[in-house]
Amino acid sequence: MPYKKAEQKFSGKINVCEIGVGDAAISIGGENSLPFLGTEGFKTAVGIAISDTTDEWADCFKALYGDDLKNPAALAKAAVEKSGADFLLVKLESADPNGADASVESCVATAVAVEAAIDVPLVVEGCKNGEKDAKLLEEVAKALEGKNVVLFSAVEDNYKTIGAAGGMAYGQKVSAESAVDINLAKQLNILLTQLGVKSKDIIMDVGTAAAGYGFEYVASTMDRIRLAGLGQNDESLQMPIMTNVSNEAWGVKEAVSTIEDAPEWGDQEARGIGMEVATASACVVGGSNAIIVRHPESAKTVKALVAGIIG
Amino acid sequence: MSKFMVIGERIHCISPAIRQAFADRNPEPILLRAKEQLDAGADYLDLNIGPAEKGGEELMQWGVKLLQENFDNVPIALDTANMKAIEAGIQVYNRSKGKPIVNSADAGDRIEYVDLAAANDAMVIALCSKEGVPGSNDERIAYCSELLERGMERGMEPTDLLFDPLFIVIKGMQDQLGDVLEAIQMITDMGLLTTGGLSNVSNGAPKHIRPLLDSATVAMAMQCGFSSAIVNPCDKRLMETIVACDIIKNNILYADSVLEF
Repeated sequence: MPYKKAEQKFSGKINVCEIGVGDAAISIGGENSLPFLGTEGFKTAVGIAISDTTDEWADCFKALYGDDLKNPAALAKAAVEKSGADFLLVKLESADPNGADASVESCVATAVAVEAAIDVPLVVEGCKNGEKDAKLLEEVAKALEGKNVVLFSAVEDNYKTIGAAGGMAYGQKVSAESAVDINLAKQLNILLTQLGVKSKDIIMDVGTAAAGYGFEYVASTMDRIRLAGLGQNDESLQMPIMTNVSNEAWGVKEAVSTIEDAPEWGDQEARGIGMEVATASACVVGGSNAIIVRHPESAKTVKALVAGIIG
Repeated sequence: MSKFMVIGERIHCISPAIRQAFADRNPEPILLRAKEQLDAGADYLDLNIGPAEKGGEELMQWGVKLLQENFDNVPIALDTANMKAIEAGIQVYNRSKGKPIVNSADAGDRIEYVDLAAANDAMVIALCSKEGVPGSNDERIAYCSELLERGMERGMEPTDLLFDPLFIVIKGMQDQLGDVLEAIQMITDMGLLTTGGLSNVSNGAPKHIRPLLDSATVAMAMQCGFSSAIVNPCDKRLMETIVACDIIKNNILYADSVLEF
Protein backbone atom coordinates (compact mmCIF):
# COMPACT_ATOMS: atom_id res chain seq x y z
CA MET A 1 0.00 0.00 0.00
CA PRO A 2 1.30 3.46 -0.75
CA TYR A 3 2.29 5.59 2.23
CA LYS A 4 -0.34 8.06 3.27
CA LYS A 5 0.82 10.79 5.60
CA ALA A 6 -1.69 11.19 8.42
CA GLU A 7 -2.17 14.83 9.17
CA GLN A 8 -4.34 16.15 11.96
CA LYS A 9 -6.31 19.10 10.71
CA PHE A 10 -7.86 21.42 13.23
CA SER A 11 -10.97 23.48 12.64
CA GLY A 12 -10.10 26.09 15.28
CA LYS A 13 -7.49 28.82 15.38
CA ILE A 14 -5.89 30.72 18.24
CA ASN A 15 -6.69 34.44 18.26
CA VAL A 16 -4.02 36.95 17.34
CA CYS A 17 -3.48 39.44 20.12
CA GLU A 18 -1.42 42.58 19.57
CA ILE A 19 0.30 44.22 22.54
CA GLY A 20 2.19 47.50 22.64
CA VAL A 21 1.91 50.31 20.09
CA GLY A 22 3.69 51.55 17.00
CA ASP A 23 6.94 49.97 15.87
CA ALA A 24 7.38 48.24 19.22
CA ALA A 25 4.07 46.36 19.02
CA ILE A 26 4.18 42.57 18.89
CA SER A 27 1.55 39.94 18.06
CA ILE A 28 1.09 36.69 19.90
CA GLY A 29 -1.03 33.68 18.90
CA GLY A 30 -2.53 33.03 15.49
CA GLU A 31 -1.59 29.36 15.13
CA ASN A 32 -3.97 26.66 13.88
CA SER A 33 -1.91 23.72 15.11
CA LEU A 34 -0.27 22.49 18.26
CA PRO A 35 2.99 24.33 19.02
CA PHE A 36 5.61 24.12 16.27
CA LEU A 37 3.66 21.50 14.27
CA GLY A 38 1.95 23.82 11.82
CA THR A 39 3.04 25.10 8.47
CA GLU A 40 2.80 28.69 9.58
CA GLY A 41 5.55 29.85 11.90
CA PHE A 42 4.79 29.55 15.58
CA LYS A 43 6.90 32.17 17.29
CA THR A 44 6.76 32.40 21.05
CA ALA A 45 7.37 35.89 22.42
CA VAL A 46 9.89 36.05 25.26
CA GLY A 47 9.51 38.60 28.04
CA ILE A 48 11.78 39.68 30.87
CA ALA A 49 10.39 40.18 34.38
CA ILE A 50 11.25 42.91 36.85
CA SER A 51 9.67 43.94 40.14
CA ASP A 52 9.42 47.03 42.31
CA THR A 53 10.46 44.79 45.22
CA THR A 54 13.68 42.89 44.64
CA ASP A 55 14.90 42.39 48.24
CA GLU A 56 14.41 38.66 48.06
CA TRP A 57 15.96 38.18 44.65
CA ALA A 58 19.04 35.98 44.46
CA ASP A 59 22.43 37.69 44.85
CA CYS A 60 23.34 37.13 41.22
CA PHE A 61 20.87 39.86 40.24
CA LYS A 62 22.71 42.38 42.46
CA ALA A 63 25.87 41.60 40.55
CA LEU A 64 24.00 41.86 37.28
CA TYR A 65 22.03 45.06 37.81
CA GLY A 66 23.83 46.85 40.65
CA ASP A 67 22.00 49.94 41.95
CA ASP A 68 19.45 49.74 39.16
CA LEU A 69 17.80 46.98 41.17
CA LYS A 70 16.27 49.65 43.45
CA ASN A 71 15.00 51.81 40.61
CA PRO A 72 12.28 50.10 38.54
CA ALA A 73 12.64 52.42 35.51
CA ALA A 74 16.42 51.94 35.33
CA LEU A 75 16.00 48.24 36.01
CA ALA A 76 13.47 47.94 33.18
CA LYS A 77 15.83 49.60 30.73
CA ALA A 78 18.78 47.44 31.79
CA ALA A 79 16.72 44.23 31.75
CA VAL A 80 15.52 44.83 28.18
CA GLU A 81 19.03 45.73 27.03
CA LYS A 82 20.72 42.75 28.67
CA SER A 83 18.11 40.18 27.63
CA GLY A 84 16.99 41.35 24.19
CA ALA A 85 13.48 40.42 25.31
CA ASP A 86 10.43 41.08 23.13
CA PHE A 87 8.50 42.66 26.00
CA LEU A 88 8.80 43.45 29.71
CA LEU A 89 6.73 42.55 32.75
CA VAL A 90 6.80 44.73 35.84
CA LYS A 91 5.39 43.26 39.02
CA LEU A 92 3.99 45.86 41.43
CA GLU A 93 4.66 43.70 44.44
CA SER A 94 4.98 46.60 46.87
CA ALA A 95 1.20 47.13 46.63
CA ASP A 96 0.58 43.97 48.66
CA PRO A 97 -1.42 44.87 51.81
CA ASN A 98 0.37 42.05 53.59
CA GLY A 99 3.71 43.49 52.52
CA ALA A 100 4.84 47.07 51.98
CA ASP A 101 1.22 48.11 51.24
CA ALA A 102 2.39 50.90 48.94
CA SER A 103 -0.33 53.24 47.69
CA VAL A 104 -2.04 52.74 44.35
CA GLU A 105 -0.74 56.19 43.28
CA SER A 106 2.90 55.34 43.88
CA CYS A 107 2.58 51.99 42.13
CA VAL A 108 0.87 53.62 39.15
CA ALA A 109 3.72 56.14 39.02
CA THR A 110 6.18 53.23 38.91
CA ALA A 111 4.29 51.60 36.04
CA VAL A 112 4.24 54.89 34.11
CA ALA A 113 7.98 55.45 34.66
CA VAL A 114 8.78 51.90 33.56
CA GLU A 115 6.68 52.27 30.44
CA ALA A 116 8.51 55.48 29.54
CA ALA A 117 11.92 53.87 30.05
CA ILE A 118 11.49 51.02 27.55
CA ASP A 119 10.74 50.67 23.87
CA VAL A 120 9.06 47.26 24.07
CA PRO A 121 5.46 46.38 25.05
CA LEU A 122 4.61 46.30 28.74
CA VAL A 123 2.83 43.77 30.95
CA VAL A 124 1.81 45.00 34.40
CA GLU A 125 1.47 42.37 37.09
CA GLY A 126 -0.40 43.13 40.30
CA CYS A 127 0.50 42.08 43.83
CA LYS A 128 -1.81 39.03 43.81
CA ASN A 129 -4.22 40.49 46.35
CA GLY A 130 -7.54 40.41 44.53
CA GLU A 131 -9.05 43.51 46.10
CA LYS A 132 -5.94 45.67 45.80
CA ASP A 133 -5.22 44.49 42.27
CA ALA A 134 -8.71 45.54 41.18
CA LYS A 135 -7.99 49.15 42.18
CA LEU A 136 -4.39 49.06 41.13
CA LEU A 137 -4.83 47.59 37.67
CA GLU A 138 -7.83 49.82 37.03
CA GLU A 139 -5.68 52.89 37.71
CA VAL A 140 -2.77 51.48 35.73
CA ALA A 141 -5.12 50.97 32.79
CA LYS A 142 -6.24 54.57 33.05
CA ALA A 143 -2.77 56.06 33.42
CA LEU A 144 -1.39 54.09 30.49
CA GLU A 145 -4.32 54.61 28.16
CA GLY A 146 -3.22 54.28 24.54
CA LYS A 147 -0.17 52.16 25.39
CA ASN A 148 -1.98 48.84 24.87
CA VAL A 149 -0.49 47.13 27.90
CA VAL A 150 -1.45 43.76 29.40
CA LEU A 151 -3.13 43.78 32.82
CA PHE A 152 -1.78 40.66 34.48
CA SER A 153 -4.12 39.29 35.74
CA ALA A 154 -7.84 39.35 36.44
CA VAL A 155 -9.19 36.62 38.72
CA GLU A 156 -12.72 35.48 39.53
CA ASP A 157 -13.03 38.04 42.35
CA ASN A 158 -12.00 41.11 40.39
CA TYR A 159 -12.57 40.38 36.71
CA LYS A 160 -15.46 42.85 36.51
CA THR A 161 -13.38 45.84 37.56
CA ILE A 162 -10.27 44.87 35.63
CA GLY A 163 -12.24 43.73 32.58
CA ALA A 164 -14.38 46.86 32.47
CA ALA A 165 -11.45 49.22 32.98
CA GLY A 166 -8.80 47.48 30.95
CA GLY A 167 -10.65 45.72 28.20
CA MET A 168 -13.34 48.31 27.65
CA ALA A 169 -12.81 51.82 29.05
CA TYR A 170 -9.09 52.20 28.41
CA GLY A 171 -8.44 49.76 25.57
CA GLN A 172 -5.84 47.56 27.22
CA LYS A 173 -5.45 43.78 27.09
CA VAL A 174 -6.82 41.72 29.94
CA SER A 175 -5.16 38.57 31.14
CA ALA A 176 -7.36 36.03 32.95
CA GLU A 177 -5.69 33.98 35.65
CA SER A 178 -6.93 30.46 36.26
CA ALA A 179 -4.18 28.85 38.38
CA VAL A 180 -3.93 25.57 36.48
CA ASP A 181 -7.70 24.98 36.50
CA ILE A 182 -9.02 24.24 33.01
CA ASN A 183 -12.66 24.76 33.88
CA LEU A 184 -11.91 28.09 35.50
CA ALA A 185 -9.88 29.14 32.44
CA LYS A 186 -12.93 28.64 30.27
CA GLN A 187 -15.27 30.17 32.83
CA LEU A 188 -13.26 33.40 33.13
CA ASN A 189 -13.10 33.79 29.37
CA ILE A 190 -16.87 33.38 29.17
CA LEU A 191 -17.42 35.86 32.01
CA LEU A 192 -15.11 38.46 30.48
CA THR A 193 -16.76 38.02 27.08
CA GLN A 194 -20.21 38.41 28.63
CA LEU A 195 -19.03 41.53 30.36
CA GLY A 196 -18.24 42.98 26.93
CA VAL A 197 -14.50 42.44 26.60
CA LYS A 198 -13.71 41.35 23.04
CA SER A 199 -12.13 37.90 22.85
CA LYS A 200 -9.19 39.31 20.87
CA ASP A 201 -8.42 41.50 23.90
CA ILE A 202 -8.22 38.55 26.31
CA ILE A 203 -5.09 36.58 27.15
CA MET A 204 -5.03 33.43 29.27
CA ASP A 205 -2.74 33.21 32.28
CA VAL A 206 -3.26 29.52 32.97
CA GLY A 207 -0.52 29.44 35.59
CA THR A 208 2.53 27.27 35.97
CA ALA A 209 4.60 25.28 38.44
CA ALA A 210 8.36 25.00 38.48
CA ALA A 211 9.67 22.00 36.55
CA GLY A 212 9.66 19.03 38.89
CA TYR A 213 7.02 20.56 41.14
CA GLY A 214 3.82 19.15 39.65
CA PHE A 215 4.52 20.49 36.20
CA GLU A 216 2.80 17.51 34.54
CA TYR A 217 -0.48 19.01 35.72
CA VAL A 218 0.40 22.25 33.93
CA ALA A 219 1.30 20.30 30.79
CA SER A 220 -2.00 18.42 30.72
CA THR A 221 -3.91 21.64 31.37
CA MET A 222 -2.28 23.44 28.46
CA ASP A 223 -2.80 20.41 26.26
CA ARG A 224 -6.49 20.16 27.10
CA ILE A 225 -7.02 23.90 26.56
CA ARG A 226 -5.31 23.84 23.18
CA LEU A 227 -7.10 20.71 22.01
CA ALA A 228 -10.44 22.27 22.98
CA GLY A 229 -9.62 25.50 21.14
CA LEU A 230 -8.19 23.86 18.04
CA GLY A 231 -9.85 20.45 17.81
CA GLN A 232 -13.26 21.25 19.21
CA ASN A 233 -13.20 24.80 17.90
CA ASP A 234 -14.22 26.05 21.33
CA GLU A 235 -14.18 29.82 20.88
CA SER A 236 -14.07 30.40 24.61
CA LEU A 237 -10.59 28.84 24.70
CA GLN A 238 -8.92 30.35 21.63
CA MET A 239 -7.07 33.09 23.46
CA PRO A 240 -3.26 33.11 23.45
CA ILE A 241 -1.52 31.89 26.60
CA MET A 242 0.96 34.05 28.53
CA THR A 243 3.01 32.39 31.25
CA ASN A 244 5.26 34.01 33.83
CA VAL A 245 7.57 31.28 35.14
CA SER A 246 9.95 33.63 36.98
CA ASN A 247 8.25 33.63 40.38
CA GLU A 248 7.85 29.84 40.47
CA ALA A 249 11.25 28.96 39.04
CA TRP A 250 13.16 31.33 41.34
CA GLY A 251 11.10 30.22 44.34
CA VAL A 252 12.13 26.57 44.65
CA LYS A 253 15.03 25.28 46.72
CA GLU A 254 17.17 24.52 43.67
CA ALA A 255 17.19 28.24 42.88
CA VAL A 256 16.95 29.66 46.39
CA SER A 257 19.70 27.70 48.15
CA THR A 258 22.98 29.57 48.18
CA ILE A 259 26.33 27.93 47.47
CA GLU A 260 26.94 27.93 51.25
CA ASP A 261 23.60 26.11 51.86
CA ALA A 262 24.28 23.46 49.26
CA PRO A 263 27.89 23.43 48.09
CA GLU A 264 27.41 20.07 46.34
CA TRP A 265 24.86 21.69 43.98
CA GLY A 266 27.30 24.20 42.58
CA ASP A 267 26.77 27.77 41.43
CA GLN A 268 23.42 29.26 42.46
CA GLU A 269 23.04 31.49 39.42
CA ALA A 270 23.50 28.56 37.05
CA ARG A 271 20.96 26.54 39.02
CA GLY A 272 18.40 29.33 38.94
CA ILE A 273 18.82 29.79 35.21
CA GLY A 274 18.58 26.03 34.79
CA MET A 275 15.28 25.85 36.67
CA GLU A 276 13.94 28.79 34.73
CA VAL A 277 14.97 27.51 31.31
CA ALA A 278 13.66 23.99 32.05
CA THR A 279 10.30 25.38 33.15
CA ALA A 280 10.04 27.96 30.39
CA SER A 281 10.93 25.57 27.59
CA ALA A 282 8.35 23.06 28.85
CA CYS A 283 5.72 25.83 28.73
CA VAL A 284 6.84 26.89 25.26
CA VAL A 285 6.38 23.42 23.81
CA GLY A 286 3.17 23.08 25.81
CA GLY A 287 1.55 26.05 24.10
CA SER A 288 2.50 29.31 25.82
CA ASN A 289 2.45 32.07 23.22
CA ALA A 290 4.39 34.42 25.48
CA ILE A 291 6.81 33.29 28.15
CA ILE A 292 8.27 35.45 30.89
CA VAL A 293 11.55 34.83 32.75
CA ARG A 294 13.68 36.80 35.20
CA HIS A 295 17.30 36.20 34.18
CA PRO A 296 18.55 37.73 30.91
CA GLU A 297 20.45 34.50 30.16
CA SER A 298 17.21 32.55 30.50
CA ALA A 299 15.54 34.92 28.01
CA LYS A 300 18.36 34.53 25.51
CA THR A 301 18.36 30.74 25.87
CA VAL A 302 14.60 30.45 25.36
CA LYS A 303 14.75 32.79 22.36
CA ALA A 304 17.48 30.61 20.84
CA LEU A 305 15.40 27.51 21.55
CA VAL A 306 12.37 28.95 19.76
CA ALA A 307 14.47 30.10 16.81
CA GLY A 308 16.16 26.70 16.68
CA ILE A 309 12.89 24.75 16.62
CA ILE A 310 11.41 26.96 13.93
CA GLY A 311 14.61 26.54 11.91
CA MET B 1 -14.45 12.99 20.26
CA SER B 2 -15.84 16.06 18.70
CA LYS B 3 -18.84 17.98 19.87
CA PHE B 4 -22.33 16.81 18.91
CA MET B 5 -23.44 18.49 15.69
CA VAL B 6 -26.88 20.10 15.66
CA ILE B 7 -28.63 20.52 12.31
CA GLY B 8 -31.55 22.93 12.66
CA GLU B 9 -34.69 21.66 10.96
CA ARG B 10 -36.93 24.70 11.04
CA ILE B 11 -36.48 26.05 7.52
CA HIS B 12 -38.83 23.54 6.01
CA CYS B 13 -41.36 24.00 3.28
CA ILE B 14 -43.91 22.03 5.30
CA SER B 15 -44.36 25.21 7.32
CA PRO B 16 -46.89 27.46 5.57
CA ALA B 17 -44.93 30.61 6.41
CA ILE B 18 -41.73 29.22 4.92
CA ARG B 19 -43.50 27.79 1.89
CA GLN B 20 -44.99 31.18 1.20
CA ALA B 21 -41.63 32.89 1.71
CA PHE B 22 -40.03 30.54 -0.81
CA ALA B 23 -42.79 31.26 -3.30
CA ASP B 24 -42.48 35.03 -2.88
CA ARG B 25 -38.68 35.01 -2.46
CA ASN B 26 -39.34 36.88 0.76
CA PRO B 27 -36.20 36.77 2.93
CA GLU B 28 -37.73 37.91 6.23
CA PRO B 29 -39.43 34.73 7.57
CA ILE B 30 -36.44 32.63 6.53
CA LEU B 31 -33.86 34.90 8.10
CA LEU B 32 -35.91 35.05 11.27
CA ARG B 33 -35.98 31.27 11.62
CA ALA B 34 -32.30 31.01 10.75
CA LYS B 35 -31.39 33.51 13.44
CA GLU B 36 -33.54 31.82 16.08
CA GLN B 37 -31.88 28.50 15.39
CA LEU B 38 -28.32 29.85 15.33
CA ASP B 39 -28.89 31.81 18.53
CA ALA B 40 -30.14 28.58 20.10
CA GLY B 41 -26.91 26.80 19.17
CA ALA B 42 -27.46 25.17 15.76
CA ASP B 43 -24.24 24.25 13.92
CA TYR B 44 -25.81 23.59 10.51
CA LEU B 45 -29.09 24.78 9.02
CA ASP B 46 -31.25 22.44 7.00
CA LEU B 47 -32.73 24.15 3.96
CA ASN B 48 -35.73 22.12 2.85
CA ILE B 49 -37.31 23.49 -0.28
CA GLY B 50 -39.63 20.51 -0.78
CA PRO B 51 -39.91 18.55 -4.05
CA ALA B 52 -39.20 21.78 -5.96
CA GLU B 53 -39.76 20.22 -9.32
CA LYS B 54 -40.20 23.58 -10.98
CA GLY B 55 -37.58 26.29 -10.46
CA GLY B 56 -35.81 24.29 -7.76
CA GLU B 57 -32.32 25.15 -8.94
CA GLU B 58 -32.88 28.85 -8.79
CA LEU B 59 -34.73 28.60 -5.47
CA MET B 60 -31.96 26.57 -3.82
CA GLN B 61 -29.30 29.01 -5.00
CA TRP B 62 -31.36 31.89 -3.69
CA GLY B 63 -31.77 30.17 -0.30
CA VAL B 64 -28.11 29.18 0.06
CA LYS B 65 -26.91 32.68 -0.79
CA LEU B 66 -29.50 34.29 1.45
CA LEU B 67 -28.45 32.26 4.50
CA GLN B 68 -24.71 32.38 3.93
CA GLU B 69 -24.58 36.08 3.14
CA ASN B 70 -26.56 36.96 6.25
CA PHE B 71 -25.00 34.52 8.69
CA ASP B 72 -21.25 34.44 8.06
CA ASN B 73 -21.26 31.52 5.60
CA VAL B 74 -23.25 29.26 7.90
CA PRO B 75 -22.93 25.63 6.74
CA ILE B 76 -26.10 24.18 5.24
CA ALA B 77 -27.79 20.82 4.61
CA LEU B 78 -29.40 21.05 1.18
CA ASP B 79 -32.65 19.19 1.42
CA THR B 80 -34.87 18.42 -1.57
CA ALA B 81 -35.92 15.57 -3.83
CA ASN B 82 -34.64 17.58 -6.79
CA MET B 83 -31.02 16.53 -7.36
CA LYS B 84 -30.35 19.29 -9.84
CA ALA B 85 -31.41 21.83 -7.24
CA ILE B 86 -28.89 20.41 -4.76
CA GLU B 87 -26.14 20.58 -7.35
CA ALA B 88 -27.08 24.15 -8.19
CA GLY B 89 -27.04 25.04 -4.51
CA ILE B 90 -23.56 23.59 -4.06
CA GLN B 91 -22.31 25.70 -6.99
CA VAL B 92 -22.92 28.89 -5.01
CA TYR B 93 -22.07 27.40 -1.60
CA ASN B 94 -19.19 28.86 0.44
CA ARG B 95 -17.26 26.10 2.24
CA SER B 96 -15.31 28.24 4.71
CA LYS B 97 -17.41 27.10 7.69
CA GLY B 98 -17.98 23.49 6.60
CA LYS B 99 -18.83 21.27 3.66
CA PRO B 100 -22.38 21.22 2.31
CA ILE B 101 -24.51 18.25 3.37
CA VAL B 102 -26.68 16.48 0.80
CA ASN B 103 -29.98 15.51 2.45
CA SER B 104 -30.48 12.67 1.75
CA ALA B 105 -29.56 9.35 0.17
CA ASP B 106 -30.87 5.86 0.86
CA ALA B 107 -30.01 2.38 -0.37
CA GLY B 108 -32.99 2.39 -2.74
CA ASP B 109 -34.18 4.96 -5.25
CA ARG B 110 -32.07 7.70 -3.71
CA ILE B 111 -28.70 5.96 -3.84
CA GLU B 112 -27.52 8.38 -6.52
CA TYR B 113 -27.49 11.14 -3.91
CA VAL B 114 -24.28 9.47 -2.67
CA ASP B 115 -22.81 9.90 -6.15
CA LEU B 116 -23.93 13.49 -6.15
CA ALA B 117 -22.17 14.14 -2.82
CA ALA B 118 -19.01 12.36 -3.98
CA ALA B 119 -18.88 14.32 -7.21
CA ASN B 120 -19.23 17.61 -5.35
CA ASP B 121 -17.00 16.93 -2.31
CA ALA B 122 -20.00 17.18 -0.02
CA MET B 123 -21.17 15.21 2.99
CA VAL B 124 -24.32 13.16 2.70
CA ILE B 125 -26.99 11.93 5.07
CA ALA B 126 -27.36 8.23 4.27
CA LEU B 127 -30.61 6.63 5.42
CA CYS B 128 -30.07 2.98 6.36
CA SER B 129 -33.17 1.91 4.48
CA LYS B 130 -34.45 0.94 1.08
CA GLU B 131 -38.21 1.26 1.29
CA GLY B 132 -39.67 2.58 4.50
CA VAL B 133 -38.37 1.70 7.93
CA PRO B 134 -35.96 -1.27 8.05
CA GLY B 135 -37.35 -4.31 9.84
CA SER B 136 -34.21 -5.30 11.71
CA ASN B 137 -30.67 -4.23 12.47
CA ASP B 138 -29.36 -6.82 10.02
CA GLU B 139 -31.13 -4.80 7.36
CA ARG B 140 -29.89 -1.48 8.72
CA ILE B 141 -26.29 -2.62 8.72
CA ALA B 142 -26.58 -4.17 5.25
CA TYR B 143 -27.86 -0.84 3.86
CA CYS B 144 -25.23 1.06 5.80
CA SER B 145 -22.49 -1.10 4.24
CA GLU B 146 -23.98 -0.71 0.79
CA LEU B 147 -24.05 3.07 1.10
CA LEU B 148 -20.55 3.19 2.56
CA GLU B 149 -19.17 1.10 -0.30
CA ARG B 150 -20.91 3.27 -2.84
CA GLY B 151 -19.35 6.39 -1.35
CA MET B 152 -15.86 4.97 -0.97
CA GLU B 153 -15.85 3.61 -4.52
CA ARG B 154 -16.41 7.17 -5.60
CA GLY B 155 -13.62 8.52 -3.45
CA MET B 156 -15.52 9.77 -0.39
CA GLU B 157 -14.04 9.78 3.10
CA PRO B 158 -16.10 7.43 5.30
CA THR B 159 -16.67 10.28 7.74
CA ASP B 160 -18.38 12.33 5.05
CA LEU B 161 -21.33 9.94 5.22
CA LEU B 162 -23.71 10.55 8.12
CA PHE B 163 -25.69 7.34 8.66
CA ASP B 164 -29.28 7.71 9.74
CA PRO B 165 -30.64 4.56 11.45
CA LEU B 166 -34.19 5.93 11.14
CA PHE B 167 -35.73 6.75 14.47
CA ILE B 168 -38.93 4.95 15.31
CA VAL B 169 -42.02 6.76 16.54
CA ILE B 170 -42.67 5.81 20.14
CA LYS B 171 -46.43 5.89 19.82
CA GLY B 172 -47.13 2.50 18.33
CA MET B 173 -43.58 1.23 17.83
CA GLN B 174 -41.84 1.79 21.12
CA ASP B 175 -40.71 -1.82 21.30
CA GLN B 176 -38.31 -1.16 18.42
CA LEU B 177 -36.51 1.90 19.79
CA GLY B 178 -33.93 -0.30 21.49
CA ASP B 179 -32.96 -1.58 18.05
CA VAL B 180 -32.29 1.95 16.85
CA LEU B 181 -29.95 2.59 19.78
CA GLU B 182 -28.18 -0.68 19.11
CA ALA B 183 -27.79 0.24 15.44
CA ILE B 184 -26.17 3.55 16.43
CA GLN B 185 -23.71 1.64 18.58
CA MET B 186 -22.94 -0.81 15.75
CA ILE B 187 -22.39 1.97 13.21
CA THR B 188 -20.23 3.91 15.69
CA ASP B 189 -18.16 0.80 16.37
CA MET B 190 -17.40 0.70 12.64
CA GLY B 191 -15.78 4.14 13.05
CA LEU B 192 -18.60 5.93 11.25
CA LEU B 193 -20.72 8.97 12.05
CA THR B 194 -24.46 8.98 12.64
CA THR B 195 -27.37 11.40 12.42
CA GLY B 196 -31.13 11.26 12.41
CA GLY B 197 -34.41 13.08 12.54
CA LEU B 198 -34.85 12.95 16.26
CA SER B 199 -38.28 14.52 16.51
CA ASN B 200 -39.78 11.50 14.79
CA VAL B 201 -39.48 9.73 18.14
CA SER B 202 -42.10 11.89 19.78
CA ASN B 203 -44.33 12.40 16.78
CA GLY B 204 -47.98 12.55 17.83
CA ALA B 205 -47.21 13.01 21.54
CA PRO B 206 -48.57 16.07 23.38
CA LYS B 207 -46.49 19.24 23.11
CA HIS B 208 -45.30 19.19 26.72
CA ILE B 209 -44.19 15.56 26.47
CA ARG B 210 -42.17 15.87 23.27
CA PRO B 211 -39.11 17.68 24.69
CA LEU B 212 -38.88 15.05 27.43
CA LEU B 213 -38.93 12.14 25.00
CA ASP B 214 -36.59 13.82 22.53
CA SER B 215 -34.02 14.80 25.15
CA ALA B 216 -34.01 11.38 26.84
CA THR B 217 -33.60 9.75 23.45
CA VAL B 218 -30.71 11.98 22.46
CA ALA B 219 -28.96 11.30 25.78
CA MET B 220 -29.27 7.54 25.39
CA ALA B 221 -28.26 7.73 21.73
CA MET B 222 -25.21 9.85 22.53
CA GLN B 223 -24.07 7.21 24.97
CA CYS B 224 -24.18 4.81 21.99
CA GLY B 225 -22.04 7.21 19.95
CA PHE B 226 -24.71 9.28 18.19
CA SER B 227 -22.78 12.18 16.67
CA SER B 228 -25.33 14.58 15.15
CA ALA B 229 -29.06 15.07 14.71
CA ILE B 230 -31.59 17.04 12.76
CA VAL B 231 -33.61 18.76 15.46
CA ASN B 232 -35.50 21.83 16.50
CA PRO B 233 -32.75 23.83 18.25
CA CYS B 234 -35.37 26.05 19.85
CA ASP B 235 -36.28 23.12 22.12
CA LYS B 236 -34.39 24.34 25.17
CA ARG B 237 -34.63 21.14 27.13
CA LEU B 238 -33.18 19.19 24.22
CA MET B 239 -30.31 21.62 23.62
CA GLU B 240 -29.39 21.72 27.30
CA THR B 241 -29.38 17.94 27.37
CA ILE B 242 -27.03 17.85 24.40
CA VAL B 243 -24.62 20.26 26.11
CA ALA B 244 -24.73 18.22 29.33
CA CYS B 245 -24.07 14.99 27.42
CA ASP B 246 -21.24 16.63 25.49
CA ILE B 247 -19.65 17.50 28.83
CA ILE B 248 -20.18 14.04 30.31
CA LYS B 249 -18.63 12.48 27.21
CA ASN B 250 -15.71 14.94 27.43
CA ASN B 251 -16.56 16.37 24.01
CA ILE B 252 -16.46 19.91 25.37
CA LEU B 253 -14.73 21.41 28.35
CA TYR B 254 -16.89 22.18 31.38
CA ALA B 255 -17.27 25.69 32.81
CA ASP B 256 -19.88 26.99 35.26
CA SER B 257 -21.35 29.27 32.58
CA VAL B 258 -21.30 26.63 29.86
CA LEU B 259 -24.98 27.10 29.03
CA GLU B 260 -24.54 30.81 28.47
CA PHE B 261 -21.86 30.64 25.83
